[in-house]
Amino acid sequence: MILKELLSQKGLIMQSPKTEEIKKGVEFIKEPIKIFYGETYDEYGNTLDSMKYYFFVDNIAQSLKQEGYETDPIIMVADIAACRNVSPHLHKKYMDLGQERVKFIEKIKKIYNLNLRIIKMSDYIEKKEFQEKIKKVEDICKKDPSLMKMVEKTVPESKIELERKKGFAYSFDEITTILNLNIKIGPPRENLYDNIAREIAKREKSKPLISIYLTPAFPLGVDYDFFIAHEGIEEHGITAYKAGSKRLQSFRIIIGKTTKVEAKKLIEKSFLSANPKLPNPVLDVGIISEMARKRLEGEDTPITLYDNFYNGRISPKKLKESIYNSLCTNILNKLQ
Amino acid sequence: MNIQEIAKKEHEEKLKLASEDRQYYADKMKEFGLKPMDRFLKYLPNPSTNMKKGITFAHKDFEIITKAMANKEPWAVVSGLNPSGPLHFGHKQVFDELLWMQQQGADVYIPITNDESYVVDKAKSLAESRRIAYEQVIPSIIAMGFNPKKTHIFVDSDYLDIYNVAMDVSKKTTLNKAFKIFGFNQTEKEENPGTMFYRSAVQIAQILLPQYPEFGGPKPVVVPVGIDQHPYIVLSRDVALKKSFIPPAELVMRFLPGLKGPGTKMSASVVGSSIYLTDSIEVAKQKIEKAYTGGSVSAEFQRKHGGVPEICPIFLLLKYHFLNKEQSDKLYLEYKGGKILNRELKERAFEYVSKYLKKHQTEMKKAKRKIDKFILKKEIKSILRE
Repeated sequence: MILKELLSQKGLIMQSPKTEEIKKGVEFIKEPIKIFYGETYDEYGNTLDSMKYYFFVDNIAQSLKQEGYETDPIIMVADIAACRNVSPHLHKKYMDLGQERVKFIEKIKKIYNLNLRIIKMSDYIEKKEFQEKIKKVEDICKKDPSLMKMVEKTVPESKIELERKKGFAYSFDEITTILNLNIKIGPPRENLYDNIAREIAKREKSKPLISIYLTPAFPLGVDYDFFIAHEGIEEHGITAYKAGSKRLQSFRIIIGKTTKVEAKKLIEKSFLSANPKLPNPVLDVGIISEMARKRLEGEDTPITLYDNFYNGRISPKKLKESIYNSLCTNILNKLQ
Repeated sequence: MNIQEIAKKEHEEKLKLASEDRQYYADKMKEFGLKPMDRFLKYLPNPSTNMKKGITFAHKDFEIITKAMANKEPWAVVSGLNPSGPLHFGHKQVFDELLWMQQQGADVYIPITNDESYVVDKAKSLAESRRIAYEQVIPSIIAMGFNPKKTHIFVDSDYLDIYNVAMDVSKKTTLNKAFKIFGFNQTEKEENPGTMFYRSAVQIAQILLPQYPEFGGPKPVVVPVGIDQHPYIVLSRDVALKKSFIPPAELVMRFLPGLKGPGTKMSASVVGSSIYLTDSIEVAKQKIEKAYTGGSVSAEFQRKHGGVPEICPIFLLLKYHFLNKEQSDKLYLEYKGGKILNRELKERAFEYVSKYLKKHQTEMKKAKRKIDKFILKKEIKSILRE
């Protein structure tokens, strides 16, 4: 698929620079273009929503390859970052969970024939080179109140004092990690980190990070009342890669845990509106399943599900049925 | 001053009134911590026409109602009225919202507060307000198309259990709190004690009644109100918590101004301010003809500068009762743009009003035979048990 087609897929891409801007942003890079997606995790398991990112990182790497670029598609499992959010006695458990997440991605890679390089945060964070880089980033930010303000904004208001005590370690890890990347794929809320990385790059006169944001994840099995009661959810949704985001683990498809019967129930009970401006968790499952099918069948064409639904070519009832079938055939049956 | 100068001055005054009206609602929303209806309009599969047109414009905790709606759990709406006269179009807009709620699954409770009419001197006697309730008000409500299985109407003076409930809820508040919420200055001090008992106990009892064990226990309840009635909700929410009930939600509606113009209410005490649902076609016609408008004394001026629909009771009568959102938006622009003048606006209003009155009055005659099916008779014994 050519880059332009890839980035025009409705229902998948939330925000992306134009093709020309991306090409301009990566020109004259001598090394393979680093395309990056990083995620943490929790104890509730591996989400279907993460798979969207694995597929997409591979897709964009292929598209750039077709355009003649060398690429280095990376999936980073942020095990150290995941540990920062839990109490110390759980660190060992969370490091093990990180290893399990790596195994899960390896499995996805194999089944769907994805060309991805999987790394862990613990592989590089203790290295001298990275530690020096963090120090430099901290120094740049601490000297500039406007940058520090941006760093503070990466933390929810309720946790700001706690993070201040920790010296915003989580945020600085994240910013340093993405600093010398070329293209970063992530959910929309990561613009908080990405903007800081771009600001620093500007000051350092280096190539700015290119960010591509995919559509946010939303819970399944909830109706309109849930969305009414959760003001602002449209903007960022729930964390795609953390099954227990906002304690909604029972409303997610967790690979290896959610049974087909449960998945069917979740899809059937989900809010589904014909208004494309509103969250559509069902369509999201459909798009991920469709991406999986295309990988399995070697089909390199854009997703059409969004247009088919919003243009009325497929009814809500039919959409739910077909998406459940596609989920089973292309994902659950392959991974369970 | 020549006519153009008079028209200009009048137009400026009307624009100022419209702006003050907007500001009043915005300020009150802020003061009372009310939220706009945007999210409900976005997400509800079938929002009410009043919500779409911005007539129902704010809420407190209406999320608890949508949760019950989505999960098909029991919920109720309570909206009472004072039977000091027949129903008018100001009442109808509330009943339209109640009908929508019933269609969405609500049990509708309608207390007819003839005790209030009496204690606040809106009726000469309890007997008179009771008569109006049964002869005019209740048939009119029934004529609007409520489902008897999900509608519970009671006249306070006939449903004596409400006073036991009032005693029960009064133990959960204090006079101090009631004075703080409703005010207790010299004017109130001159009122009879019944008014304060009504406001701080009977009214709260009506709002919390659906949560008593006889009606299935605690459940989400919503009360559609005008913005000035917010204090009742504040008190009832406070009492609800003390009784381990669910604090009632509030849905705030803009009320149709009286035919005398902005700042006036449709009220039985102001002659010519309301079109009653029992008015003859001829009377309704006269009232519309005499009504204040958002237009100008000079047709030429109005064609050039337009009218002020925001404060025009005739435009608002059409908007609130007879036009859908698109039609109402179109008429707004036409009137504001000077394409429609007062005469045409009034003719349109009369056409709709006369058709509605004919139909409604026919239905009212039939409704009189059905009253018994709608009257709440359930005894409240739970509070009398030891």
